[in-house]
Formats: sequence, C-alpha cells, structure tokens
Amino acid sequence: MADEMKVDMELDLKGLLCPLPMVRVSQNITNVPVGGILKAVATDPGSLADIPSWARSTGHEIVKQEQEGTDFIFYIKRLK
Amino acid sequence: MPGKKLETLAGVIDAKMNRQLKLYLDICARCAICRDACHQYVTTQDVRYLPAYRAELIRRIYKKYFTKTGQFVPSLYEGRDPDENLLEELYDVMYACTGCRRCMYYCPYSIDTTWIQSVGKAMLLAAGKGSEMLTQLADAAIDKGKNIDLYKDIMRDVLKTAEKEMQDKVGDKEAHFPYDKEGANVLYAALAGTHSILPAAIIFHMAKEDWTLSMFEAANYGYFLGDAAKAKEIAGRIIDEAKKLKVKEVVVSECGHAHRVFKFFYEMWAKEKLPFKVSSILDKVSEYITDGRISVDPGKIDIPVTYHDPCQVGRNYGLFEEPRAVVKEICSDFREMTPNRAKNWCCGGGGGLVAEPALEEFRKTTGKLKVDQIRDTGAKMVVSPCENCRLQLDTLNEHYKMDIEITSMIDLVVRALKT
Ligand code: SF4
Ligand code: SF4
Repeated sequence: MADEMKVDMELDLKGLLCPLPMVRVSQNITNVPVGGILKAVATDPGSLADIPSWARSTGHEIVKQEQEGTDFIFYIKRLK
Repeated sequence: MPGKKLETLAGVIDAKMNRQLKLYLDICARCAICRDACHQYVTTQDVRYLPAYRAELIRRIYKKYFTKTGQFVPSLYEGRDPDENLLEELYDVMYACTGCRRCMYYCPYSIDTTWIQSVGKAMLLAAGKGSEMLTQLADAAIDKGKNIDLYKDIMRDVLKTAEKEMQDKVGDKEAHFPYDKEGANVLYAALAGTHSILPAAIIFHMAKEDWTLSMFEAANYGYFLGDAAKAKEIAGRIIDEAKKLKVKEVVVSECGHAHRVFKFFYEMWAKEKLPFKVSSILDKVSEYITDGRISVDPGKIDIPVTYHDPCQVGRNYGLFEEPRAVVKEICSDFREMTPNRAKNWCCGGGGGLVAEPALEEFRKTTGKLKVDQIRDTGAKMVVSPCENCRLQLDTLNEHYKMDIEITSMIDLVVRALKT
C-alpha cells in the first residue's frame, strides 16, 4: 500500500525554481538503494511535468504523487 | 584510445569547419588581451580558464590533424591527439564557460570562444562524455514534449491559483489564461512555474493583447549541452505549437539563451524560415509602454536600483537601452554598474552552469566581480531580465550576504502598473 510506503530519503525542494527541483532529485536518487524511495516535496508547479518527465527519461518510476496545499509530493522509486 | 577513434573525434573539427572557425584557429596572436576580459580567469587566475587557452586545446588537435606542418612534426607545433587527458581538460573548460562572449568583445580579432566551445562540446558528445546533468534535463524536456497530453490538465488546474491572482490584480473576474487559442497574435513561451506566467499574463491583459499560453517552457538545456539535434527538438515543441495555432508572433519569456535559440539558431538548425515573428517579452513591454497600451507609475520605487545586463540579452543580442528606459521610468534612484552594457561583467551563472551542482563553488568564486560591482552602486535591488542570471544572483546574494532584492523586469513592471 502506498500509504505504508517506506521512504528512504526525503528532499525538501520548496521554493526552488526550474531546473533546480530536477537537478536535486537527480543528484540524490543515488543516495537511496535500488528499489528504494526518494520522497521529494516541491512547490514549483513546473515540477508537476518536469519530475515525471525526468523519471521516465532516466528510467526511474514515480510510484505516487500527491498535493497538499501548495506542496507537490513525489515518491520516486530508484529502478537502477 | 584506438587511432580510429582519435581520428573520428578529430573529424568533429572537420565537420564543423567553416571560414569563421578556420580563421579563429589560425589567427590568435597570443596577445592575452582576453585574459583580463574573462571573469573566470580574473577571479581564479587559473590558466585553464584563459579564453585563448580554451581555444588552444582545439587548436592543438586542429594542428595535428589538419595542418601540414602539424602532421609532419606535431611536437614542434604542439599538435595533440584528442585522447582521454585532453578530453578531460576539454570538459572542464568547455562546460565551465558561460558563453558570455566578453572575451570576444575585447579580442582584437573578435575570436568567438563560444564558437570554439561548440566544437569542444560536440567532440565531447561524440566521445560519449557530454554533461550528464544537462543531458538529463534536455531528455526530460524532450520526454515532456512527447507526453504533453498527460500534463495539460494538471498544469492548467494548478495555474488556477495564479489565474485568480491575476483576476484580483486587474479587477476582472472574467480574465483567464488563454490556452490553445487558434489564430492568436501572440504565443507566450514562459518558463516552468508561475513566476514568469502571472506577471506576463497581467501585462498582456492590461495591453489587451490577443495571446495564448504555451504548454512548454522556453529554456533549452540541449543548447547548453551543445547538442544541436536535442536543442532543435526542444525548441521544436514550441515552434510546432505556434504553427498549429497559426499565431503571428512567439514571445519568449525573460530567458536570454532561449530567446536567442528561437530568434537566431532554430532557423539555422532546421533550415527553414519560421512563418511567425519571434520577440522577447522585453521587446513587448517596451512596445506596450511606448504605444500607451500599458502605463506605469513613474518613480514608484524609490530605493536604489541597478540593472544587470544579461550577456545573452545585452552583449549577445544588443538590447541595452530599452530595458534601462523601463527601469529608469519606474525607479527614481537608478544607479549604473561600472562597467555596463557591452562591457558588463558576466554574473557567472550562464551557459547552463546554474544547473551543474559540481560547479556551485566555482560559480560563487567567479561571481565575485559581479558582487563587487553591485555593492559599489549601493543598490538595494537588482533588476535582471534573465532567469539564469537571477538564479546565480540569488546564490551570490546568499553566499556573500548582500542583502539585496533580485527581480525580473516583468515583476518590476507589474509592481508599478496602473490597472
Ligand atoms: S565566453 Fe565568457 S566565460 Fe567563456 S571564455 Fe569568454 S569571457 Fe570567459
Ligand atoms: S585576445 Fe584574441 S588574439 Fe589575443 S590571445 Fe585572446 S583570443 Fe588570442
């Protein structure tokens, strides 16, 4: 269940503008083990398309995405 | 590295060869005037960042493979192979260059380091050694282009908050962000995020512009990567949208390199004439004010304000006076940096450097001249119409505890806009 998902690392990307949310996610994905979850919280609306596009083109997976107020929360699974 | 591979890499120079490049490679007088022009050399005193030295790396390969004397006795003419050592050095100097072209401005022969840089990056890409981060950003933009239908509704939904802010500002509950509007005068290519959409939307609304919002961000990391094919594909997302909607003009947000990609490079890459005009939002703002379509409160801002000429807007595009005129109209205490306009120091963040975490410390060091320039004015606010510059200025502001406000031109205009 997504609700019980174990998060290996959490990244605060609030206030960062493009391309920095993608850059930070890319920098930190290798800090979680393969199969692990990186949780990223961004406020830049551009990240709604940017982070999933980054994940797809680099071969990782967004397993869950949600919004809480102005925060956009991504759960990114490291696949390789 | 096998001889065949070395020849293939050297062949990149041949493929890019034209009269201009040949001239650049043949003519350098080693006068070292460019030494004092490059903020990276001046602040680090590292010979690798000397503009002439960057070119010299390409020149040595050129000498070994493409000149008779160099082929005959390469050691005498410092001819070199593009081997692993040279590629490593090339990476450091080529992906560190901001493409500000201040060196070219001062060089007595106008040698364009960015042209030579494009050869160096092409060689690195051919060797599979291009910037990993810039590749990822470029590929993400291309992927977004292919899957835009997945995001359209989500993005429009999230932009509703900004739309509401626009309605409040202009006092019109019926004011909306227009999407996919066929036959509009203007297709506006913003940056990712609302900060470049909301102020532009307010200005367009007040100017009664017939506009529509692009679903794609104008920024182009394929260009910084040095990969013309990817850069063309990224820009092509907006070009195709503009053609489909049959707009008359594409207006690019405050993003120096993106504007130049649409204005100058796309037609060269695609070998086609674009059926619409390309402008910068800076051109439009000046036009609207001059034509009386919008008006601003003169002297609305009374704190000391300075203007940073982004290299891609000023030196490399030639827009100096129009943005200044707008800033001076709005700010009663305007102060010039020294030097300014074509001689302005680069902020140190262009060329995609703000997206390279490995270069963050380098950016802080090499931005010091800009910090001193701003401090010398005593300004409390810096206006700069380029996203890359503003991101770098934010870093400098924090690192050097400058205690200044950094703003875009459209934000400044909206603050003073009469609604
Ligand atoms: S373009 Fe700018 S950063 Fe690059 S070598 Fe010339 S002065 Fe230095
Ligand atoms: S200023 Fe021009 S000619 Fe002189 S060393 Fe630099 S690149 Fe060569």
